[in-house]
Amino acid sequence: MTAMIDLKNVSYRYPVSDDSVLKNISFSIEKGKFTAIIGNNGSGKTTLCNTIRGFVPHFYKGDLDGEVIIDQTKITDYQLGQLGEKVGYVFQNPFIQVSGVKDNVFEEVAYGLENLGIPVEEIKIRVEEVLKLVKIEYLRDKNPFELSGGQRQRVALASIIVMDPEILVIDEPTSQLDPIGTQQIFEIIRLMKERGKTIVLVEHKMDLIAEYADDLLVMHKGELVMQGPVREVFADPEFEKYQIQYPHVTEIALQLQQSGIPLSFLPIRDEELADALNRTEVAAHD
Amino acid sequence: MKQNILLQLHPMTKFYFTLFIFAVVLISPGYIFSFAIFPILILIAMLAGVAKEFLNIVIKALVTVLIFIFIMQMFFYPGENVLWEWGIFEIKQEGIKYGLLLTSRILAIGSAFILFFRMTEVRDFVKSLEDIGLPPMGAYVVLSTLQIIPEMRRQANTIMEAQKTRGVETEGSIFVRAKAFIPTLTPLILSSIAGTEERAITLESRAFSAPVKKTSLHQLSKSNMDRALPIVFALVVIGLIVWRFFL
Ligand SMILES: Nc1ncnc2c1ncn2[C@@H]1O[C@H](COP(=O)(O)OP(=O)(O)OP(=O)(O)O)[C@@H](O)[C@H]1O
Ligand SMILES: [Mg+2]
Repeated sequence: MTAMIDLKNVSYRYPVSDDSVLKNISFSIEKGKFTAIIGNNGSGKTTLCNTIRGFVPHFYKGDLDGEVIIDQTKITDYQLGQLGEKVGYVFQNPFIQVSGVKDNVFEEVAYGLENLGIPVEEIKIRVEEVLKLVKIEYLRDKNPFELSGGQRQRVALASIIVMDPEILVIDEPTSQLDPIGTQQIFEIIRLMKERGKTIVLVEHKMDLIAEYADDLLVMHKGELVMQGPVREVFADPEFEKYQIQYPHVTEIALQLQQSGIPLSFLPIRDEELADALNRTEVAAHD
Repeated sequence: MKQNILLQLHPMTKFYFTLFIFAVVLISPGYIFSFAIFPILILIAMLAGVAKEFLNIVIKALVTVLIFIFIMQMFFYPGENVLWEWGIFEIKQEGIKYGLLLTSRILAIGSAFILFFRMTEVRDFVKSLEDIGLPPMGAYVVLSTLQIIPEMRRQANTIMEAQKTRGVETEGSIFVRAKAFIPTLTPLILSSIAGTEERAITLESRAFSAPVKKTSLHQLSKSNMDRALPIVFALVVIGLIVWRFFL
């Protein structure tokens, strides 16, 4: 498998800060994988996203050491404009992601395609499709400045996926959404994965990460402290050290284990709990 | 509303018309001709269905300025033929004549521009400028400023509301309101400065600087009228110049 995103010993310090925000980070993400970045507030997740998207160092100056390689090419060899097509980036703050020159949601979503020089007929088709996918058709004529937080978050996501980038970097896309909205966003991300996109997602909702993501990167105070398949990372006793939430069912399972109830494996999805309990019973009967 | 033939003209055609009025006024001698243009503009505004807003703005923006200019010229333009005198104040015939000339021109040109902006969406005008080579960044700056003004007004209101809940007096006399408004400026300006960096990143995430030629959902079309009118304008201007300076 080819690496789509490859970081080698990356360290970064913002221009005005004294301390490195990213410390010697190395990892590699294969094409088509869905990787979640987790970690507590201020651990450097957003900065890492900015690095993958090339805003560090093209936009945020400061000291960047090490190598960031996107699709076999060093990030410093891309022009800023070229990366726009390759890496779609949905920001953490939905309130700033409005172009400011469009007066309805339809045109807002179309804006990126206009910039990419896509023919008008095709733009219309693609925007229609994405509005439907993200379930914001009913907002099409509304002013982008007059939307609720959750609506803006959907528009922001739509505006990026309509551009059909190979890599999607999505920073906390569900912070303003209700549980159903959150679930819908994850379904959309799953669909993107099925279309072969490489996905990097920052999220705090562990239950959904356990259900959807392939791999985990755990950030702690600027360091990448753990990485690997989701199940392995949650099962690793080291994970507890970083004070990050577990999926609910894993939390329960760990407590069961502590109170002496044996489990055949550590469940990370709700439906696995019964299985984990049952199988030990079967094992006990034998 | 968009059915109106005049409103449907290409923004450039309307703009050429404004320049046309400008040229005609400067070429033509005396003030009668220039004053005669104003009723014509009113007529056009009526046909375009924007007469009310047009007159409203002309009255608000131009009339006081015109009266002021006229009075200044009347008293202070150098001349011999004194018509009326009171202490150091003298009204001179030359002053009245020059005052009329100046005001007639300002009225015609000023109201032609006002009419232009009443009949043209700024968005369309910027698009037409883009079509003839205005760089996208320039177009962006104009359009985003237009969009951001109401957004800033909303923000200012939010901040005022926030202050009200903290017990700051925000209603009452102008003085009270000003006192409440001034402290909102700092957060407002700070947030819009912080906003520019974020906006630049937002634009970048939407491929603003992609190295390709942009397309646009918003297209302007030119009708036969749009092709013919500029030629008519040009011919009339040339005719006027010939008549004025060569005959
Ligand atoms: N533009 C900036 N300039 C200077 N320092 C910054 C900047 N942005 C972030 N930082 C600092 O970098 C560190 C990491 O911030 P970052 O935004 O990457 O954290 P995060 O993991 O995304 O947090 P959260 O979960 O709150 O979104 C923080 O200590 C923060 O103060
Ligand atoms: Mg963040």
